[in-house]
Amino acid sequence: MAAVVSTDTVKVTINGVEIEVPKGELIVESVKRLGLEIPIFCYHPRMKPVGMCRMCLVEVGFKQPDGSVRMMPKPQAGCTLPASDNMVVLTDTEAIHRDRKGVLEFLLINHPLDCPICDRGGECPLQNNTLSYGPSTSRFIEMKRHAHKAFPLSQYVTLDLERCIQCGRCVRFTEEISGDSQLAFRFRGASMQPATYQLTDFESKFSGNVIEICPVGALTNAKYRFRARPWDLETKPGICTVTPCGTNVWFDYRAGKFIRLNGRTNEEVNEEWTADRTKFGHDFYNSPNRLKAPNLRTETGFKGAGWSDVYAEILAHFEGKGSEVGVITEANLSNEDLFMLQKLFRKGFASQNIDHRLSGGWQSFEERLENKLGLNTVQTTIAELENVPASLVFATSLADEQPMTFLRLRKGWFQNGTKVISATSHPTEVDQFAHVILRYKPGTEARLAAGLAHASGAALEGLEKFNPEATEQATGVPANLIREAGEILREAGARILTTHSLLTTSEGSVACEILAGLAHKAGHKFSCLGLKANTAGAKELGLLPDTLPGGIKNSNPGKDTRQMLEDAARGKLKALWLVNCDPLTDFPDRDLAEKALENVEFLVVQHHQAIEACEYASVVLPMTLPAEQDGTFTSSERRVQRMAPVLSAPGEAKASWRIFAELLLRIQPSTPPFGPKDVMEEISREVPTFAGVNYGALDGPGVLIAQPELGEPNLNSLGGTLSKV
Amino acid sequence: MSFEVLRDVAKPIIAGFGITARRLASEKVTIQYPEERREQFVRTRWRHVLTRYDSGLERCIGCSLCAGACPARCIYVQAAENTNEDRRSPGERYAERYEINMLRCIFCGYCQEACPTGAIVLRKDFELANYEREDFIYTKEMLLEPIRR
Amino acid sequence: MSDLIQLGAVNERPKAPRGEDLQLKFSEKAIAQLDALKAHYPEEKACILPGLWIAQREYGGTLTAEAIAEVAHRLHRSYAEVEGVATFYSMYNTAHAVGAHMIEVCTCLSCHVCGAYRVADYLKEKLGVGFGETTPDGLFTLHEVECLNACDRAPLLQVGDQYYGPVGPAEIDALLEKLRTSPPTVTQLADEIVKVHLKAEEPR
Repeated sequence: MAAVVSTDTVKVTINGVEIEVPKGELIVESVKRLGLEIPIFCYHPRMKPVGMCRMCLVEVGFKQPDGSVRMMPKPQAGCTLPASDNMVVLTDTEAIHRDRKGVLEFLLINHPLDCPICDRGGECPLQNNTLSYGPSTSRFIEMKRHAHKAFPLSQYVTLDLERCIQCGRCVRFTEEISGDSQLAFRFRGASMQPATYQLTDFESKFSGNVIEICPVGALTNAKYRFRARPWDLETKPGICTVTPCGTNVWFDYRAGKFIRLNGRTNEEVNEEWTADRTKFGHDFYNSPNRLKAPNLRTETGFKGAGWSDVYAEILAHFEGKGSEVGVITEANLSNEDLFMLQKLFRKGFASQNIDHRLSGGWQSFEERLENKLGLNTVQTTIAELENVPASLVFATSLADEQPMTFLRLRKGWFQNGTKVISATSHPTEVDQFAHVILRYKPGTEARLAAGLAHASGAALEGLEKFNPEATEQATGVPANLIREAGEILREAGARILTTHSLLTTSEGSVACEILAGLAHKAGHKFSCLGLKANTAGAKELGLLPDTLPGGIKNSNPGKDTRQMLEDAARGKLKALWLVNCDPLTDFPDRDLAEKALENVEFLVVQHHQAIEACEYASVVLPMTLPAEQDGTFTSSERRVQRMAPVLSAPGEAKASWRIFAELLLRIQPSTPPFGPKDVMEEISREVPTFAGVNYGALDGPGVLIAQPELGEPNLNSLGGTLSKV
Repeated sequence: MSFEVLRDVAKPIIAGFGITARRLASEKVTIQYPEERREQFVRTRWRHVLTRYDSGLERCIGCSLCAGACPARCIYVQAAENTNEDRRSPGERYAERYEINMLRCIFCGYCQEACPTGAIVLRKDFELANYEREDFIYTKEMLLEPIRR
Repeated sequence: MSDLIQLGAVNERPKAPRGEDLQLKFSEKAIAQLDALKAHYPEEKACILPGLWIAQREYGGTLTAEAIAEVAHRLHRSYAEVEGVATFYSMYNTAHAVGAHMIEVCTCLSCHVCGAYRVADYLKEKLGVGFGETTPDGLFTLHEVECLNACDRAPLLQVGDQYYGPVGPAEIDALLEKLRTSPPTVTQLADEIVKVHLKAEEPR
């Protein structure tokens, strides 16, 4: 929250050097401009200063008109002191050194100094500051405060009250950033403790962040507990492939084994935060069930085989079979993997049976929105949510499905007063700060969307009958709330956010279309965000039966997931390839999935670990995970980011793109891509939206890919869609 | 000729034996190594030992500071958590695995210096020869002092 | 608090109650008072302190976990935030269930000089409890407090919003007899404070 409040500048003299800083900037930030450092504990640049730890004391004075400097009688906390004209700041005087020693001595009075067993030891601001600024000994010889060690606040966060220095960072995080206010200081004085209500479960969806911002070892990672010390770890940058937001993270590993994740700063995406799904959701790297070698089914069971044998077997069943073979994948592979996969099937096997949607058919929606209505499905970015007048969150639990979008939305409300409308059938985290909460009956999404369009004055043809009263009747949302929400949406520039989870019903898809139309008419921006790490990429790269790379309509469409499984169950599909997905657990209709896997003649299961579907497989191929191979991912806001290899692949596992490229080479001898970089070059040549994306451009915050070229928006058919519901 | 021979050859030999003869009476420097052993200097640093408290609990808390201090990177520590049923060391943490690669170790003693509990000490056992390279990786079981009765 | 956590074990903490599962106990009057307070402030956060006083009255003098949760629920704040406020101030009785009358003995300098500890010891003996404890019949809770700002009447006792001093054994006996038959002073005190808050909220 080093928010610059105005563009005026003031002259501040810091340690004898005069610099100009924005008026109102905090002194603790101003000194950084000179490359100086003020030690801090409680101050955090993204949160409001509180001045609790007194570590940042500086001497401050003001230049008088006669040229002399009149110092304030006492040192001031630099983290709560805004810069003003003629200010003189001294950060390096004898008195300040003494003050810092005193503050640290006080902080350490009740600190147990169990650094050797503390998980924070080695990366602990308290250790660092004590070493740099603190006293070498303590004069405190009395009993220290004692509390229970290692209290499990939740299954992820362990609280050690003895180590707490009561800086309030965690409390402020839950209050200001994640917004659940689940942590607060209980009691007072020496017994003050940050804790949840009655020590109940700390179930925040962003609880992992308090571990990272804790300046001591009071809040530690229960999953990382005692697994390594910071100096044992090696670390490399990466991105999260569990959430669709493209959260930037550091992968920490030890002796080639994945250990933990920490947030990495990317102002465009996650600032520095991570969701718990990201931070604690990557355990599969260490799964004992990882596949390590290709396997072929023989009469007696699975037998380990070489890659070339497996390839021969696959080619025997797939090559030249055309529409009798198909592939189902999941959109958490890299762009390169997905591109090579569709290329193998389209060019190599001449099959259009490609699909990346296991649980829902939102293709029809996207295709309709883009080709018939001429509207883009993703028009917003995460970072812009910070500065919008209003936002409508429609039918999604944003904190679960789009954690980073949620945090940015909340930041916009918290800092800039974004008016948020929360329209969900069940309570969500957004309700907490929503201006208007529209709680509709499940299954009435489209009618609510139509009501909102009516109330906001965006005249959409065919929706005239949905005045607030009629909408109240249909959806159960009080008419006055709909009017209030409509008032907010009258002003242009709002963001309308929803996710693919809405598209599982036809009512939901219609709601999306109406919202997109409303956004277009009223000058808002609309986004229907994906739910997997690379959903946007899979769509752009044509991992769909009826779309070719670049969103070109396929004149000869293949079968989608359900049709493929149905055909397989009837024995019409001769060979099926499952890439990184398990229809038995993820497809909504398990009976159909079981029947399909039983009846298909030849089943290839390509996965990183032994899944249930392997039981039915003819060939099992081991593949690498995102951090074990090079690749790029397109996040839900269409940002391409690179995931450089961090770990080595287990056993003989190969990167998916390489498997597909090697097979393609056996069918069509041509120069194969030597690395994902070559694949990306090919993608940027062939897919117009990816033009200009190359590995050289991906350092830094990543690249937003272009929007597909669409015709003039045409909303005439919109009203008719509602009658279908 | 014979005089020259006596002077140049026999005399030095006799002189040499004279020294030997004189030394016969003084104390011998050489010791019969495997049977006899020389006393080591006080600050000799040889084979590592993980010590215990008098109560039998391990001193090592698995903090990995020795591994951090080691210039040869020859120590591997993997920590785990004590439980009340299975308590190895005082406090929360103990070393589940503690391995030293003796081929890499340069016996600098930094690990001993870094140890906050005095768990790892370099003692005077210098007979570290072995036949297989793998045998030079000393595990925690080999390093840990037996419980004194 | 539990013992050391076990590596890899799932540590299931009890979950905080959900809003709809709370047993709400505020009376009509309390709800009306809270609404009056809410109308006065721009934010509901500002009503936490008077809201806790209302809860202290409604829950018989003690702010139990349920009382805190109810205030938080009615003010749309998080439970932890309201609990933090309630546990900060010493006049909110969060630590344990208090009796109907809270006898607070001042033991600061002037009272100490005038024999506050003799008074305290007499009370302890008479009631059979120590500081911070409640008699088994649930009538009296004894507390030691800092200066009550009435040194001219040392040694001093405070019961509810009434000062009694100077007190000796005879006065204490009489006071206890009187309190045994009088209505609970802890809820009376809470009620008085709520009234003060409401009066301050009335538009001028």
